Amino acid sequence: MNEAPVISTEPEVPEANDGKSFRRLHPLSILLKSVAAIGQNLIFMGVLYFSVFDQNIVYAGLAALALLVFIVGITTLIWSRFTYHIGPKEIRIKSGLLSRNNRSIPFDRIQDVSLEQKLVSRILGLATVKLETGASAGEDGKLDALALADAEALRDTVRDYKSGVAAIAADVADGPTSAEDIEERPPLFAMDNRRIFIAGLFNFSFILLAVLGAIAQNLDFLLPDEFFNPWYWAEQLSEQDMVNGLSFSAQIAGAIGALVSLIAIGMGSGIIRTFIREYGFRLDRVDRGQPGFRRRRGLFTLTDMVMPIHRVQAAILRTGPIRQRFGWYHLKFQSLASDGSGESDHSAAPCAQMEEVDPILDETDITNVPLGLEFHRVDPALWWRDAIIISVILGGVSVGLGLFVQPAFYALILLAIPIIAAMVLNWRHHKYALTAEQLFVHAGWWRRKLTILPIRKIQTVDVGQSPLDHPLDLATVTVGIAGGSAMAPLKINDIPIATAMALRKKLI
Amino acid sequence: MNDITIDPLAEMEQDKARAYNQGLTPLHPPQKSLIRLNVGIFTAILIIASVAVEFGIRNELPLAAGSIIGPVSAFGLFLFVMLPNRIYRRWGYDIGPDGQGEQLRVLRGFMWRTDTIVPFNRIQHIDVAQGPFQRMFGLSTLIVHTAGTHNSIVALPGLSTPDAEAMRDTIKGHIRQDMI
Repeated sequence: MNEAPVISTEPEVPEANDGKSFRRLHPLSILLKSVAAIGQNLIFMGVLYFSVFDQNIVYAGLAALALLVFIVGITTLIWSRFTYHIGPKEIRIKSGLLSRNNRSIPFDRIQDVSLEQKLVSRILGLATVKLETGASAGEDGKLDALALADAEALRDTVRDYKSGVAAIAADVADGPTSAEDIEERPPLFAMDNRRIFIAGLFNFSFILLAVLGAIAQNLDFLLPDEFFNPWYWAEQLSEQDMVNGLSFSAQIAGAIGALVSLIAIGMGSGIIRTFIREYGFRLDRVDRGQPGFRRRRGLFTLTDMVMPIHRVQAAILRTGPIRQRFGWYHLKFQSLASDGSGESDHSAAPCAQMEEVDPILDETDITNVPLGLEFHRVDPALWWRDAIIISVILGGVSVGLGLFVQPAFYALILLAIPIIAAMVLNWRHHKYALTAEQLFVHAGWWRRKLTILPIRKIQTVDVGQSPLDHPLDLATVTVGIAGGSAMAPLKINDIPIATAMALRKKLI
Repeated sequence: MNDITIDPLAEMEQDKARAYNQGLTPLHPPQKSLIRLNVGIFTAILIIASVAVEFGIRNELPLAAGSIIGPVSAFGLFLFVMLPNRIYRRWGYDIGPDGQGEQLRVLRGFMWRTDTIVPFNRIQHIDVAQGPFQRMFGLSTLIVHTAGTHNSIVALPGLSTPDAEAMRDTIKGHIRQDMI
């Protein structure tokens, strides 16, 4: 295998010397993938050991060996049939054992490049390169894995490519030194451990609780048989008269204690998750080639992502009622590519004060909410119409259940109060404003989201009316932007149809 | 833009359609027959399903004959009579005066109404598609693809094939490279 740096000194027609210039992934990636595949097959082996082989260790061992050889063989075969080539304008990837796939990704179309190093890859000095074009879900080009230096060289090649002007090989060669230059400049945004801790506090999640539950379920042979049977607990408690025996204040204290421990678990798991993901968060501006953002983060899995600034479609500021009180915002950039692991937007500053957000926004041509900008409310029908529907449904259900099943079900109607309160709050926080250049949309009360969208980035505008909108002459404006979630597009709900039409005229 | 000879009856029909779609260009009249055909197929499936259900539960529940088929058929026929014309007349499109326009506007929906505008220079690529039933009526669908995640595909069915091709050629001239 040729270990020279990934620099293409390729003539104009790469097809001419097919095969020669194509390189393979790093050989250690065979090991990496085999280990992963074996991990996936451990359960399968366990099942075989207990069922087919009747707990016979010799046969099971032989089968495991055969499986191991098979996995390593297949992985090696796949590895040997996976080649890539970096041309002056595009990267080509040939893959596939039986059905061959020859993919060409023009540098023009690459939305962002990210380098990912899982723990094992870090030990082996490897990195996975992910290229996103935004064409489909997931990565469009994934090189798993290259030597770190090769991966960085590839990243720099793509970054330095300017549409129309192919990167010159000599220019690419000093890529690493330029990376060091960047190192010396202060970052646009970075988070120390204290900041990550704060971010974690607001990243409340019950993942840990779920994990504990799963562990408890898997290790349930250690627990008493009746552990998951609520009647068992009810009996135990009523027999011992434990709760009733306690004073009223002790009962209250117990309930508060339970609540506090639940919140503590939620916060704890939020902090742990945030530390794992955001540790060492650092956002830089890179000026070589196309100006872009470079983001590095991660405790175990290091990721290093470069995204050209002109790909930014919109800025999103997320916060919550408590977070906003303390002035913390989460800045994200929406682009055609998605930010790994299900996040639809690129996180640029997970926990920042407004005065830290502004310098980042200054690098793009998006400006923050100008002082004294007047936001428009939407029609109150947004809440009262849904409130009527929910009241009717809840009323029907509670009366039905109350009459025929249990009178206590009448209390279900009380559920309407918090639901309607949430609707009113959501309505109060749904506001929009328009300047000559940008559209601002606030949405959500608990999960607050401010979208700042430059008008030039708008792809389509819909004015829609549901059957309930016609009698009130209301309409919903839906804006089509590249990237973001297809399930929750940018919407301005329930404004008068004349306003909606006028707004659309200004948007397009 | 229509290449077909316009008979007065069809023209009247078109005028009526304009009253419901904010004065935009209505779809090619045979589209109404196609909608009627589609609704008819849907109604037929509904009635067949109701027959199957009725015969299926006849042994379990002693219902009067036709107590499922009856209402379902009535509902299906109601849809068949009422729906096609209403769907058709809500459709409308506009691409501006004679190749001078800048944007495609598509109006659709009877209950859930949507009014979409796609600027020509935001269109990534265009398809003209034709299904087997559409071929019977000489109709085509113009499909424009945008970079937006919402509305990544905007389809305008019910154009006469020459119209659809002419529109495609008009729009083609406006497509720009690398908008995002």
